[in-house]
Amino acid sequence: MVDQVHKEFRKRDLLYSGALWLLSLIIPDPQLHYRREYQFRKRDLIYFLTIIALPMIWSDPHFHHIMVLAGIHAILALGLTLFLGYAGQISLGQAAFFGIGAYTTAILTTRYGVPSFFAFWASALTASFFAYFIGRPILKLKGYFLALATLGFGEIFLVIVRESRGLTGGVIGIFDIPYFSLAGFIFDTYLKQYYLIWGVLMGLVLFSKNLIRSKMGRAFLAVAASEDGASAVGIDVSRIKIRVFVIGASFAGLAGSLFASVMSTANPETFSLNLSVLIVMMVILGGMGNLYGPIAGAIFLTYLIDGLSRYQEYSLPIYGVILILLLIFFPDGIGTRLRVRLIYLISYWGRKRRREKVEP
Amino acid sequence: MDTWNILPQLLTSGITFGAIYALVGLGFVTIARASQIINFAQGEFVMLGGMITFFFLNKIHLPYPLAALLAVLIVVIIGFLLHLLVIYPLRKASLPILLMATLGASLFLSSASALFFGALPKALPPFSARTPFEIGNISVSPQSLWVLAAAFLTLFSLYLLSHRTLLGKAMEASSTDPLGADLSGISRNLMIFLAFGVSAGIGSVAGIFITPIFYVSYYSGTLIGLKGFIAAVLGGWGKHSGAILGGFALGVVESLSVAFIPSGYKDGVAFAILLLILYFRPKGILGSPFIDSRRW
Amino acid sequence: MFLSVEEIVKHYDGVMALNRISLQVRRGTVKGLMGPNGAGKSTLFHLISGMERPDSGRIFFKERDIAGLQTHEISRLGVGRTFQTLQIFGNMTVVENVLTGMHTRIRGGFLSSGLYLPRIKKREEIAMKEAKDILELFGLFGRWKWFASQLSYGEQRRLEIARGLAAKPDLLLLDEPAAGLTYPEAKQLAQTLSRLKEAGLTLFLIEHHMGMVMEIADEVAALNNGELLAEGPPDVVKKDPSVIEAYMVRK
Repeated sequence: MVDQVHKEFRKRDLLYSGALWLLSLIIPDPQLHYRREYQFRKRDLIYFLTIIALPMIWSDPHFHHIMVLAGIHAILALGLTLFLGYAGQISLGQAAFFGIGAYTTAILTTRYGVPSFFAFWASALTASFFAYFIGRPILKLKGYFLALATLGFGEIFLVIVRESRGLTGGVIGIFDIPYFSLAGFIFDTYLKQYYLIWGVLMGLVLFSKNLIRSKMGRAFLAVAASEDGASAVGIDVSRIKIRVFVIGASFAGLAGSLFASVMSTANPETFSLNLSVLIVMMVILGGMGNLYGPIAGAIFLTYLIDGLSRYQEYSLPIYGVILILLLIFFPDGIGTRLRVRLIYLISYWGRKRRREKVEP
Repeated sequence: MDTWNILPQLLTSGITFGAIYALVGLGFVTIARASQIINFAQGEFVMLGGMITFFFLNKIHLPYPLAALLAVLIVVIIGFLLHLLVIYPLRKASLPILLMATLGASLFLSSASALFFGALPKALPPFSARTPFEIGNISVSPQSLWVLAAAFLTLFSLYLLSHRTLLGKAMEASSTDPLGADLSGISRNLMIFLAFGVSAGIGSVAGIFITPIFYVSYYSGTLIGLKGFIAAVLGGWGKHSGAILGGFALGVVESLSVAFIPSGYKDGVAFAILLLILYFRPKGILGSPFIDSRRW
Repeated sequence: MFLSVEEIVKHYDGVMALNRISLQVRRGTVKGLMGPNGAGKSTLFHLISGMERPDSGRIFFKERDIAGLQTHEISRLGVGRTFQTLQIFGNMTVVENVLTGMHTRIRGGFLSSGLYLPRIKKREEIAMKEAKDILELFGLFGRWKWFASQLSYGEQRRLEIARGLAAKPDLLLLDEPAAGLTYPEAKQLAQTLSRLKEAGLTLFLIEHHMGMVMEIADEVAALNNGELLAEGPPDVVKKDPSVIEAYMVRK
């Protein structure tokens, strides 16, 4: 008799928590703003240590492979988050800068024998260059038109790459790009590449975090909140926009270089609009105004895509639907909702406990 | 000197393309006028018009006109569904979210289309005679004339809709003064809902008319959609006449460019024009009611 | 002459917003700008702060022609402003809003910030202290960690003025600072503004709160339909017949 009552409870619990969980998806977020990331806290150290320890705990090479890809996506997302998440400007061209970086490294290493370390920095510089020249006219635009202009730039990049067979190998691309090497140490396994890429990412995170907590970060946010207000306090809005754009592009260039050194090939189909869309999704899901969120978003979406590839030709439609659903349910990022849900769940269980204690 | 000979021929094909871009652009403008949203899935409406007609014609063996009609109906329903399932839930969302949502919808529609209809390009039979007729040394296919006719008929119908019918006027009111329209009892969401249907209809008609000339396949929607949008911006964003003018201008320039630059770059021309127009005159050729000239 | 507007003309799409306006603001004074809605007051502020360019005429600030300069350049010369439609940075905390106001006074570039060199850290700490002091002045210290969007409307208005002050301007343009404030809030604002004037700040404010303007302004200029109706001490302008007519007819 007592057992039956206990079982009933369990079923109802699940139902209630499930319903509460679903409800929390729709109920607006009660004042749970992001805490502003002022200092480096223990939390940052924990993240860093986790990243370092992860592949040693999980030595499955497939896991390493996915995390390598996720790391590259994370660098792309980090660059974009400064532009989109903090400064509030939309760019659908991140994939193009990624491609510029990749091709720069590919051409320099395969044709001119430049060591990958130098090609790495050259890629960042090239991407920054292009970002500067494209940015100056484009960044005067706002909203949809800026998005469209960056999209246009991305498409033009693709067309040029496909047509310049001499330089970029056209539609086929460039092969046999050497692995990244530093002082004789060659990064040829997924494990080594993991540490390379996530090491670079951590460095970039440090840099970005410093930017965010300095006056530059405030300037980005100011530009996003009110351009008039920002210029009224002396912030040169167009200069800031160009600066963030260039920084985001340089990150993408670095990611491109790493990508080329890891995948050993570069071809235009990788650097499509779909990739730019994916990166924007990572930033949105991670939450605007957040540094670690988009990185988590990168890991999540990379895994999602890998998981979907099982479904072959169904993978793209499913991806499209999931994209839309994620946007509808998590417009402020997955992290926000998680906290709300956690609180709802905890308070529910807490109340249940109290009830159980009272009724003997 | 050979270039100059083929120019007239290029001009004709440019005008044909231009009419298509104009129709697609009109689709964008209709939705944007009602809601300030840019629907990146517009190109997919065009593609689906052709695809579904092909399906009904060749797989279900319906007569051509019936197949076309059904296709338009289905695409209109898809347009309504797009609004109900994607746009309406996101009605309060910020701009990047809406942008991503329509891009996601575009991705879904094109990949689902590949799934249902197969990856091979499809063609439809022309409406009338197959043989092109000659004007001077230019050969014009009769289908091109149908396309032109479609463009102007659509423009005319849209004009009638927005200026002569109560519904059309309500839609216009909702876009120019959302609050006032709302207070007058015009449901903004309903207007946007209808705008999606109208845009889908226009898009699908464009698709059906153009498929006999150029093949349609699951990926053709995205590019046509983008070019149609560029056309609308070129002519003057937000104006029906702007979409028409921009469409023909883009079509002609794009076609003529093949005479001067390698053909592989042809698709890039539209985007180059986009960047140029956004830089020098974002309002477009005819000016735009939506863009505040003060800060540009 | 500290701020001197000379023969300013501005029209929008054929509508004459300002028709050859000339007026002056003396250093260390509080000047009021009055007039019915649509008289051109905010337009004048837009022109002075660089958000618009005048069609003709000149604007002198500290003996320098600033007409046509960009807003941030004018701000760096020492002109601050607040907005009729509140333009605070809701995505930042209260103290960060003020810190952003000090943007031009905190030295440091992109690279040094990204590396967070020790000198940057030091400057940030000094700035943070000063920002908190400014917040104290406006009674917002207790909320310094809050997000600016969480403040009440009156508090947000005060925050915007605090932010404008953080840049240590020589001239502060206030566009309807008391709009939407309750009577006690407006009174407190008037007190704060008087104290600022005593500290040496020059204020130029647009305000409809007749009482507040009369109380703190040394001089008032009245506009209507882009024309200057009267300029002088408050009680003189108040009694000017064309000013009275403008308000009566419009309202």
